[in-house]
Amino acid sequence: MAKQCKLRMSIICLLMFVGSSRTAIGEGNAIDWITNEFQPSTLTKAQQQQELQWFIDAAKPYQHLTIRVTSERIATHIYESEVLAKAFSEITGIKVIHEVTGEDDVLHKMSIQNRTKQNLYDAYISDSDLIGTHFRQNYVVPISDFIAGAGKKVTLPTLDLDDFIGLKFTTSPDGKLYQLPDQQFVNLYWYRQDWFQRPELKQLFKNLYGYELGVPQNWQAYEDIAEFFSEKVQVIDGERIYGHMDYAKTHPSLGWRLSDAWLSMAGVGDTGLPNGSPVDEWGIRVEDCRPVGVSTARGGALNSPAAVYAVEKYVDWLKYAPKSAKDLYFSQSLAWAAKGVIAQQIFWYSADIENFTKPGSVIVNHDGTPKWRVAPSPVGKYWQQGMKSGYQDTGAWTFLASTPLERRQAAWLYAQFVVSKTVSLKKLLKSYTPVRLSDLRSAEVTAKAPYLGGLIEFYRSKGRDIWTPTGNNVPDYPGMSVYWWRYLSMVVEGKNSAQQALDEMAEEVDAHLAKIEVSSTGSCSPKLNPRIDKELWLQKTGAPKPLMNLPVRGRTLSYEEAIRVWQ
Amino acid sequence: MCGNNWLKVCFALLAFIGFANADDSKVETITLQVLTYDSPPFAYVEQGLQKGMLVELVAELFSRAKVDYQLSFVPLKRALLTVRKSEHYCVTPIERSQEREADYQWISPMLISRYGLYSAEGQRVSLTSLSDAKSLAIGSYLGSGIAEYLIELGYNVELASNGQQNIRKLQYNRIDLMASEIMSARENMDLYQVELGKPELVFYTSIRAMACNIDLEPRLKSHLDSTLIGMYQDGFIAALYLRYGVSVEQ
Repeated sequence: MAKQCKLRMSIICLLMFVGSSRTAIGEGNAIDWITNEFQPSTLTKAQQQQELQWFIDAAKPYQHLTIRVTSERIATHIYESEVLAKAFSEITGIKVIHEVTGEDDVLHKMSIQNRTKQNLYDAYISDSDLIGTHFRQNYVVPISDFIAGAGKKVTLPTLDLDDFIGLKFTTSPDGKLYQLPDQQFVNLYWYRQDWFQRPELKQLFKNLYGYELGVPQNWQAYEDIAEFFSEKVQVIDGERIYGHMDYAKTHPSLGWRLSDAWLSMAGVGDTGLPNGSPVDEWGIRVEDCRPVGVSTARGGALNSPAAVYAVEKYVDWLKYAPKSAKDLYFSQSLAWAAKGVIAQQIFWYSADIENFTKPGSVIVNHDGTPKWRVAPSPVGKYWQQGMKSGYQDTGAWTFLASTPLERRQAAWLYAQFVVSKTVSLKKLLKSYTPVRLSDLRSAEVTAKAPYLGGLIEFYRSKGRDIWTPTGNNVPDYPGMSVYWWRYLSMVVEGKNSAQQALDEMAEEVDAHLAKIEVSSTGSCSPKLNPRIDKELWLQKTGAPKPLMNLPVRGRTLSYEEAIRVWQ
Repeated sequence: MCGNNWLKVCFALLAFIGFANADDSKVETITLQVLTYDSPPFAYVEQGLQKGMLVELVAELFSRAKVDYQLSFVPLKRALLTVRKSEHYCVTPIERSQEREADYQWISPMLISRYGLYSAEGQRVSLTSLSDAKSLAIGSYLGSGIAEYLIELGYNVELASNGQQNIRKLQYNRIDLMASEIMSARENMDLYQVELGKPELVFYTSIRAMACNIDLEPRLKSHLDSTLIGMYQDGFIAALYLRYGVSVEQ
């Protein structure tokens, strides 16, 4: 005990010493951080030093402040909160408390700050899914306005906005940039390439299904492969394995399982990027930037036959997943594929890639290369060429109008610091959530690519433009996103059919749009279409699409052919 | 007081009182049963009187909303179970988490709390960021949400059976820092006549809500929600926090 106390006192003394020596903020600390942490970088050390010198000078008026920011608890933000916030404080003298918490908590806090006008945080990192909400309401300060006005003197000359790959996700139809991307992730098809290449399994699959075992191009092939591994193969190397993994607990995360482009993958909406036009992936019909309804009777597609197909397939395929999938929520489900018992997963977020690349893992070869690959997501039978193919999003810096200007300016300095070229490549190599093209093109990322199963190939391709976030059409994302899990959990629980649940949900979403129509006067606010016989809409070209009963044959490609679609 | 034998009689009496008090000015004719638990300085009972910042806030909320309520003190776990099972019941203050989201209707924000790291009296530990405390022993208590938060992030947390014990542990150098909600820390300092001063670092903000039975009438939920927001917007909440020695903002 005495020894422990001595050790504890020594650590405290060291911290007290570090604290007293830290009065020498600035250049010396910058050089230390450049040398010891911010390598590699696409900048030379001299350029890094120059960039940090700009931060030191720009921060001088704000050194008395302690800035509070909050973000989701993922590896990227943990690195920022534990390393970059400390570096920023030591280099600039502005203290930063970077909290990490659940994504729902970030949204709640932002919503509470907006409603109560209490300045809880000086900045938030929130998903670009909210762009449709931000540009229709007045509570977010558009970054482009800020840079041109009150933030001009604190905007980094080397910020290089054109270098950000996700800028279009945070830009509204009126051309304003609302948020600055901090990290970017994608949802792709994930599979065990080593199992798919085993000759005996390839032969058995071909015998049973009449085509090659490979990367599924459509949902029928995904279903066949799921059945093949879960019911025909069942055991590999002595372990019970499964052809599908998912999660389905009644929980908020069930919402984004279905609202993050699942309907667009099924083919519910129309062609046209980024989200389908005039009907998008939430089934919202939009005319001249105004949402005019989601129900089929108003020209939307949320309860259309294609949407019913999307939900039914999601629920039906749970029979191929481990039994516990129904009782898991998102974060609980993540470990399963990494445990080495899952053959494929149609809905896989790259933000969790850290768990799939750990040396010594059963899904990593001895040389560190993965036994798995990611590939373009297979699509449903209503999907057509030219439609959105999957989901991608960026967690982005968001500044609320209720934050006092001085605090917003200081927080803006921190936001730019954590995405600056001085630190961004190192951050990317820590967590693989790229935001800068210059980093993606670097030699260091090229060297890392073989260890990431195709993720870098995706980001270096045009795929990064056709995998998109929720988009501009959702006028109240925090308010409307809750309907997804509340209504569709009823289908998982067997309390409602997919058609019943979607009919009720469509009615409630339309009612929500109607409320916004009454309370908002903006040029892009909702304006509901009248209800008419839904058959009239189903007979027209495009979404909502009529029932398609024709059987679809499964189609697969080799990995090399499959990823060619990104090139 | 309301033991098993008397439970039905008590409820009947409460219902009668609610009914007898009902007049045209009331928005709802039902009496909402609001449960809370001992958590000074937010809610506690002293000489038979219910006191605390949350008690005052709840009183103002229901008075403004013109809704009858009955505030009772019940252990937290039991309160959460009761609210899940019983219509017209709510419990506050509760952390609104994804795990709980689907089980209740939520009225928020009831409390905006800041959590800090405190060092022992007369000792200063300089913390630039939370990660500076990674090598230190942080005291918290069993069942505390902030302890869970720190443990999940890989911090070395030593759990006491209650928050007050950590003041003593700090004094005897058995922990390096105490993690505590700021108002609760002040309360405990006064109780033990110890002056730890300001926290070395305020590292987390928590929003606590009122969790109501899932079948709470949506119109009533929305009415209570908007009444609560009004209390923030007209400065009532800010003044209340100041009276308890803290600022609702940073």
